[in-house]
Amino acid sequence: MPEATVTANFDVYRYDPATDAAPRYQRYTLQLAPHTPVLTGLLRIRDELDPTLTLRYSCRSAICGSCAMLVNSKSRLACQTPVGPEIEQHGRIVIDPMRNLPVLRDLVVEMTTFWSKYSRIEPHLIDDPAHPMPVGRETTMSPAQVERFKETPRCIACGACYSACPAVEADAEFPGPMALAKLYRFVVDPRDGARRERLVKIQTEGLWLCLRCHLCTEACPKDVQPSQRIRDLKEMAVAVQGGTEPGSRHAIGFKDNIRSTGTLNEMKLVRQTSGLLGMVAQAPQGIKLSRKKPEILHAPKKIEGQEELEKLYELLDDAPPKEEP
Amino acid sequence: MQRHDVVVVGAGLAGQRAALAAVAAGLDVAIVTKLHPLRSHSGAAQGGINAAVGKEDSVDTHIYDTVKGSDYLGDQDAIEFFCREAGPTVVEMEHFGTIFSRGDDGSLARRPFGGAGFPRTIYAADRTGLALLQALYERLGTEAFTLYEEWDLTSLIVRDGRVQGIVAFDRRHGDFAAIAARSVVIATGPAGRIYGRTTNAHSCTGDGIAAAYDAGAALKDMEFVQFHPTALLESSILITEGARGEGGILKNASGERFMARYAPHVFDLASRDVVSRAIWTEVKEGRGFPGDFVHLELMHLGREKIESRLQEICDFCRSFAGIDPVTEPIPVMPAQHYMMGGVSTNIRGETTIPGLFSAGEAACVSIHGANRLGGNSLLETLVFGKQAGESAAAYTAKAPAASVTADDLDRETGRIRAMSDRKDGEAPAKLRLEMQHTMDELVGIYRVPAELVEALRQIRALKARYRSVRVEDTSKRYNLNLTDALETGHMLELAEVIVAGAIARTESRGAHTRVDFPKRDDGHWMRHTMATKTADGPGLSYAPVAYTRWEPKERVY
Repeated sequence: MPEATVTANFDVYRYDPATDAAPRYQRYTLQLAPHTPVLTGLLRIRDELDPTLTLRYSCRSAICGSCAMLVNSKSRLACQTPVGPEIEQHGRIVIDPMRNLPVLRDLVVEMTTFWSKYSRIEPHLIDDPAHPMPVGRETTMSPAQVERFKETPRCIACGACYSACPAVEADAEFPGPMALAKLYRFVVDPRDGARRERLVKIQTEGLWLCLRCHLCTEACPKDVQPSQRIRDLKEMAVAVQGGTEPGSRHAIGFKDNIRSTGTLNEMKLVRQTSGLLGMVAQAPQGIKLSRKKPEILHAPKKIEGQEELEKLYELLDDAPPKEEP
Repeated sequence: MQRHDVVVVGAGLAGQRAALAAVAAGLDVAIVTKLHPLRSHSGAAQGGINAAVGKEDSVDTHIYDTVKGSDYLGDQDAIEFFCREAGPTVVEMEHFGTIFSRGDDGSLARRPFGGAGFPRTIYAADRTGLALLQALYERLGTEAFTLYEEWDLTSLIVRDGRVQGIVAFDRRHGDFAAIAARSVVIATGPAGRIYGRTTNAHSCTGDGIAAAYDAGAALKDMEFVQFHPTALLESSILITEGARGEGGILKNASGERFMARYAPHVFDLASRDVVSRAIWTEVKEGRGFPGDFVHLELMHLGREKIESRLQEICDFCRSFAGIDPVTEPIPVMPAQHYMMGGVSTNIRGETTIPGLFSAGEAACVSIHGANRLGGNSLLETLVFGKQAGESAAAYTAKAPAASVTADDLDRETGRIRAMSDRKDGEAPAKLRLEMQHTMDELVGIYRVPAELVEALRQIRALKARYRSVRVEDTSKRYNLNLTDALETGHMLELAEVIVAGAIARTESRGAHTRVDFPKRDDGHWMRHTMATKTADGPGLSYAPVAYTRWEPKERVY
């Protein structure tokens, strides 16, 4: 079925740190059917126009995870992104390497940090001496237990989430969405013996650095929904250990504030999150803020309809706990 | 100079399983791979892994189905071993952490597959390869080994009648290295990219098979190339046999369920060679859709089943073809999918060179014979990966120290640097595209003698031109142009072996269908093709098929 082609102008990031003083964009033009994947375009450039264009690719069917890159500034798999809509929306196809990882050459980034954060969450089953694996046969796992993995088994470790994550950009210690989604996969695994230890450990190893912006979920080509799984990890961590970190104490305090008055008591929340000493340390900012917003010095009154809110909380309290399999 | 006890080349399921076995023997193991292990093509396997673990099923039936599927070219002793190992292998992978789909009773769910007497294909939705690859990678990650990630294999070092190591180059820095090893395991997967229309990943370029061949190892049954019946039109992206296992049906342009004419008992679930020939025949005889394809219909299965059990397929169709399989038929045509042939090994993974082992799709034991059954390849990677790793470890314990010399390295770097130094010559991509065109057009499902002869002429002409291939990219860092040149050279060698084997085999068996010899000829041809490299191209000889309990019969599905 011959299909009308469109002019596809690719502006591709080129940079060889060994020889180039600075990165530049190179324009390549092809005639392509609109449904052609960006990767196919880039490989045609390699085959027909410029064999020096450098990128990672392999399966071309969104399963090997090699070709994550920025397509018009969004972290995508090049093989899964058709050129047509990009051209319609942006007039051209701007290709950059993933963010948050150093460039090795052109679109190829150094992924060592990404992989080491993945291994740091101990991505393997840890024996449970109380429940050894059955001998000579598989573990029994109900379809409901399989369901609890959610979409995490679909992760192809492409790094698109890591590239899209502002928390990674802000704090090198943040494990990143992929590693945390992977951690979730082990935490809910009925075969794993270290559920509690994993949750306790991650509380102090970056779980609460997530900004809840959901850009990872937006970027994920396999619908793994890392941000939702990070939220689940936070709930489960608080359920097994309570608030031990500023992050978890902040979340608990926030809920407690809203429940009691329907609004935030910011002074109280600071104390709940950081403790008395922390409050003293933050006093200079507090004083500055109170000049602009004097109301923060007074405990807020209950809002109108707080009783309704309390009823909602009671309903939530009665709901079955999320974290038990 | 780097030195290890065992070097495994390739980090898919076979390579990783081999490495795990060698590590378990307490050896210093290295994996050399051109892709990060999780990027390996094993991860693209969709439908499942066979194991006769159901109450109504039996290992004997699995053996019989595999023997019949192989069109009696599979070695029956190897097949018996293979099928017996299936249950323990799947259980081991489950214990390693694989997330399989489950039945209501919590046991491993099973689906029907082509050519199988019972539903015995255990699966993880339609991403079984990915599920296994993740679990094995994560299990292997708890062990100590050296990973040479994004290194390209250029050749094997064989001296004094045994393997001494490999030469490889580090893409990131562009440096060549000779790595000494007392044993080497080739687990580099297939060479499907010899064809243009293939379900295989771009990385499937047969590097290890070609290096073994170049070093003098025999290749077995290379002319047997499997065409998967259902690849998405145009992109040739695989649509799993599991789609038909779940109840999907094939229809021609007049809406006829044509498989009834070709496989009156099992319809769409005949073995792959049978279904691919049927589709091809329908299209060639004018019963296909305009543009040459047939339809795979899933709509009658209902949204829930399609979206849960064939989730990736749904995504593929929506992303890559703009088609929703819940409401529309999928346009499909056969495409190259699997190589039954490979580096000849025995049941222990030993090749014809001492110290050289092989497993997975790169190898040929042979358990698939002339046609592989769906669900048997994932199993093969694990069963024979472990065999090869254990054999390599046992060999290594007794082998003398390996010796590699500066000369080994210089010879390779000299050969390869010459590609970069010349000022004119052809681009590897040009040669690769022409080779793919030749194979697509002349060495397909139905093989015509005159076309095969022409294909051989064209491949040999391409090999001659390859001698002046030019690498235009001068950068040392991540020079994919150089990788492309090496891969193209590997594929041209193997293409020649495929075509030479196909010309010589004057019968039709499994995936090898000669229009001039439409019948199987057990009297002359129930034997393996063995190809070794000579100055004039592949030298062919033949080896007997191991035979235990199953008499050759006509195959009817």
